Amino acid sequence: MTLAPERVETGVAARMEGGVKVYGSGDTEVRALDGVDIGFEQQRFTAIMGPSGSGKSTLLHILAGLDSLDSGRTFIGDIELGSLNDRKLTLLRREKVGFIFQAYNLIPTLSADENIRLPISIAGDKPDEDWFNEVVGILGLADRLGHRPSELSGGQQQRAAAARALVSRPEIIFADEPSGNLDSRSGGELLEFMRRAVKELEQTIVMVTHDPVAAGYSDRVVFLEDGTVVGQMDNPTPESVIDRMKTLGG
Amino acid sequence: MIRTAIRGLTANRLRLLLTAASIVLGVAFVAGSFVFTDTIGARFQTLFDDVYAGVDATIRPDQEVLGPGQGGLDEDILGEIEAVEGVESAAGSVAGFAQIINANGEPLGGQGPPTLGFSWVDEPELNPMAISSENGRAPQRAGEVTIDVATAKNEGLSVGDRVDIQTIAGVDTYTIVGLANFGTEDNLAGATLTSFTLAEAQELFDLEGRLSVVDVVAAEGVEPEALIARLSAIVPDRAEVVTGDQQTREQFDQFTEGLGFLETALLAFAGIAVFVGAFVIQNTFRITVAQRVRELALLRAVGATGSQVTRLVLVEALIVAVVASAVGVLAGIGVAELIKTGMDTAGLSIPDGPLTVAPRTIAVSMVVGITVTVLAALLPARRASSIPPVAAMSDAHARTSPKSLRTRALVGASLAGGGAVAMTAGLLVGNDASAALVVGGALSLFLGMSTLAPLVAVPVARILSAPIRGITGTMARENTARQPRRTASTASALMIGVALVVFTSIFAASIKASVAETLESSFPADLAFASTNLTVGVSPAAMERLAERPEFSVVSAVSMGTFEIEGEEIGVVGVEPQTVSRVYDLGASIDISDLGDGLMVHEDVLETRGWSVGDVISIDYSGGDNVTTEIVGTFIDQTFAAFVISEEVFVELISDDLIAISFARLADGVSLDEGLAAAETAMAGFPNVDINTKSDQIADAEAQVDQLVALFSGLLGLALVIALLGIANTLTLSIVERTREIGLLRAVGMSRRQVRQTIRWEAVITAVFGALLGLLIGVGIGFGVVTSLGDSGLGSFAIPWGQLAIGLVAAALAGLIASLGPARKAARMDVLRAIAYE
Repeated sequence: MTLAPERVETGVAARMEGGVKVYGSGDTEVRALDGVDIGFEQQRFTAIMGPSGSGKSTLLHILAGLDSLDSGRTFIGDIELGSLNDRKLTLLRREKVGFIFQAYNLIPTLSADENIRLPISIAGDKPDEDWFNEVVGILGLADRLGHRPSELSGGQQQRAAAARALVSRPEIIFADEPSGNLDSRSGGELLEFMRRAVKELEQTIVMVTHDPVAAGYSDRVVFLEDGTVVGQMDNPTPESVIDRMKTLGG
Repeated sequence: MIRTAIRGLTANRLRLLLTAASIVLGVAFVAGSFVFTDTIGARFQTLFDDVYAGVDATIRPDQEVLGPGQGGLDEDILGEIEAVEGVESAAGSVAGFAQIINANGEPLGGQGPPTLGFSWVDEPELNPMAISSENGRAPQRAGEVTIDVATAKNEGLSVGDRVDIQTIAGVDTYTIVGLANFGTEDNLAGATLTSFTLAEAQELFDLEGRLSVVDVVAAEGVEPEALIARLSAIVPDRAEVVTGDQQTREQFDQFTEGLGFLETALLAFAGIAVFVGAFVIQNTFRITVAQRVRELALLRAVGATGSQVTRLVLVEALIVAVVASAVGVLAGIGVAELIKTGMDTAGLSIPDGPLTVAPRTIAVSMVVGITVTVLAALLPARRASSIPPVAAMSDAHARTSPKSLRTRALVGASLAGGGAVAMTAGLLVGNDASAALVVGGALSLFLGMSTLAPLVAVPVARILSAPIRGITGTMARENTARQPRRTASTASALMIGVALVVFTSIFAASIKASVAETLESSFPADLAFASTNLTVGVSPAAMERLAERPEFSVVSAVSMGTFEIEGEEIGVVGVEPQTVSRVYDLGASIDISDLGDGLMVHEDVLETRGWSVGDVISIDYSGGDNVTTEIVGTFIDQTFAAFVISEEVFVELISDDLIAISFARLADGVSLDEGLAAAETAMAGFPNVDINTKSDQIADAEAQVDQLVALFSGLLGLALVIALLGIANTLTLSIVERTREIGLLRAVGMSRRQVRQTIRWEAVITAVFGALLGLLIGVGIGFGVVTSLGDSGLGSFAIPWGQLAIGLVAAALAGLIASLGPARKAARMDVLRAIAYE
């Protein structure tokens, strides 16, 4: 049995066309996204970088179906999100999207095992046990499954969150500063796991970060400033990212 | 500190509202009880004062000797009184029992409000009743009657109609010539009022040539005291002269005798509601303190002492308490008005007038509300002082350690155990301290159980949620297990109300079972004849008619009345010695046909009083006779009274028209249906007699018990509502606490419906947990009480399983209803904002 589904190599997992998002009005108007066109290819690890207020979190939230555009269109696979009601958006998040937040990723009352299975339990499905074991194995959580989040280290908690995002085999995983709260060693481990998930498990990850080192683990970096895409870079290293950022306003 | 407290409160209106709601409800019940009973009292006081305002003096049979309303005056006294100097006018009247029978042949009033008959008094100043010009006139000859306006309205009767009226002389048909008001009212609190000419009334009330009372108006300028002195000089022995004021006050007191009991009963239920409210308040404060750990720790970090933090929480509690209690008092006034309107609609017309809000009402309600709130907040406030300043920086805060769990178990067990012991003692001892012991014991038992509840909350929640499938069930289970104290405290509030309802229904079921058992075993008669009205009883004439029928082999009457022993008024029954054993089993130690002039005493009473068979004791009868009587035997039946004398003695010394119940046995070969038909024929002229078969009697007794249970459950309803409010409180606050968690669940694909479901299951688990605890305690108390009272006629312990099962389902449903608001709130949460929530 193949563990990862067959996919068209050059397919686009998610994309945004002419995305505009405005908060407030009049003097207090903020254009968080100001005409964003961007696509994310399957089986790649993309980092979105930009200074505070550049709109990177807004972009992530809208791509993930947690927020909506004022104009423009967003797609997960072939599905246009703007036309979906809350129920369909919820189903979309459940089936096609995975999440890793900066903190508070796990339900404190559930064990690591239950947390990882959460999206599948919510859907009322049975998990693919082979896939579950492989994901848990790669993330090094096999012997921590029975523990509650409070009994896990910060790194383990974030890896459990990554496992949860992977276990339902979503079309795309969004990560918001996943290593932001971790020390550099745990953060490095997490990002390495995420890269392996993309390479070995053929997953697609989009990560928002302001840390050039974190961005160095990705296949491609997209730079955002004042709500617009101002550049991108393939196969980045921390150094090349830092150099590039110096040319940006932040 | 006060300013910080006010800021804290206004910044979080939800918290304020949730805390205040249960205080408002409890205080409203307390205030409402006071206002309602005060208002009724005051309005009738005004009515009585108005109605009898013209009476300056009243001559009546001596009540010290004869008891209220007994005996009569020779009617010749009226002339003598009129001749006394200073008497402007005097009028004599009689009063008695007169029951209107409606078009369907049903007697009005029954065992409810009194059915009063009077002689019409022509002197308007001396007549409480008045007929307005469009409502006809006073009775002027035999066969004419007036009825009260309210009864006329209710029964569709008007001037010129013919109506049947039952008196102790029998039933006759009268012509309505007038519709009378009582003062300005349509009637007197639901009592039916009829009046006849004096001559006819004397005949109907068995008072020929006699007067019940003579009222006097003093001439202009005559001092009432001087008049009373002159009147006293001419009245015979066994009569007395009192001022109009005293007569009015006594009549009023007699009329409102039940009011004091009503007040006590209402306040008892209000007390329960407040007690339950205390749990809700405590829980709300506990949760809000837990939620404000960071804020409070910050205060500590910037230099506030632990006791300052405690004071802050207490000051908050105080402010909430004062505001909520004040709102509660206002709400209570509304509640009283509402009950009054309800009673008006039910036909118990209460005179118009302002609501009486006594200073005592406001003071007591405020003090109760404030004290209970601050006491309930004390524990959470003290806990707040132990928050370390470092908690401002981290999420971690103190958890319950295993040691304190052991202390909890010990404290809880001793409170509950001590409470149970106190209750048992109170029930067994049976003296003045009983009530205090039982109530105190119950409080202690409830506190103890609620202290113990957190220890079992987790396993119980797991067992209860085991059948719930899917992630929502898991989440709900874990949420209830996450904070066992919170869950337990929320459940405890419900526990109290449920326990009391369960106890009531067990007690009722046991009474019913005991009554059924007693009737089955001690009631060999086939039919019983009881009066629908305790005032008049069954007419002896009716019994004679019955005895003449060949369908019956035995007819035997039992009369009920009172006499005095050693100054104490005691119930006594008169039986027909020759026949009683064939219709009713008293469990007598002697052959009752040998009773003679002797007295039989219940064996327990004999023991308590230290008498023995053969003793001669002194008895005072209400007529003033003092008789020494020998105790000739004992009996064990509990149904009627503790003393039995022969019907002959009863008729001679107590009354000849008070047959309470009569039993008949069918002759051989006569079927029950034939017997019933014969009985109905014989009773045709006596519509106030109820004919009962054995199963009717059981059903009657059960219906009465059921009514009482319904009333109690209704009054406990508010305690249950407050408990449900507590569930809603806990959920609402927990949801605020879990905002991020809910956001996360929604982000990873939980639908709004699933979120709602989770919250609902959580409420249901908590509610069922509370109901189960209540069930356990209710059954326990029920068992204890029924067993302790086993000696006083409560032989059977019965558990109404069906009712209890329905109750559990109802608790689950109620939990569901309590969760609707919070569940909606949780489901509507904005996902983005939720995941960004600090």
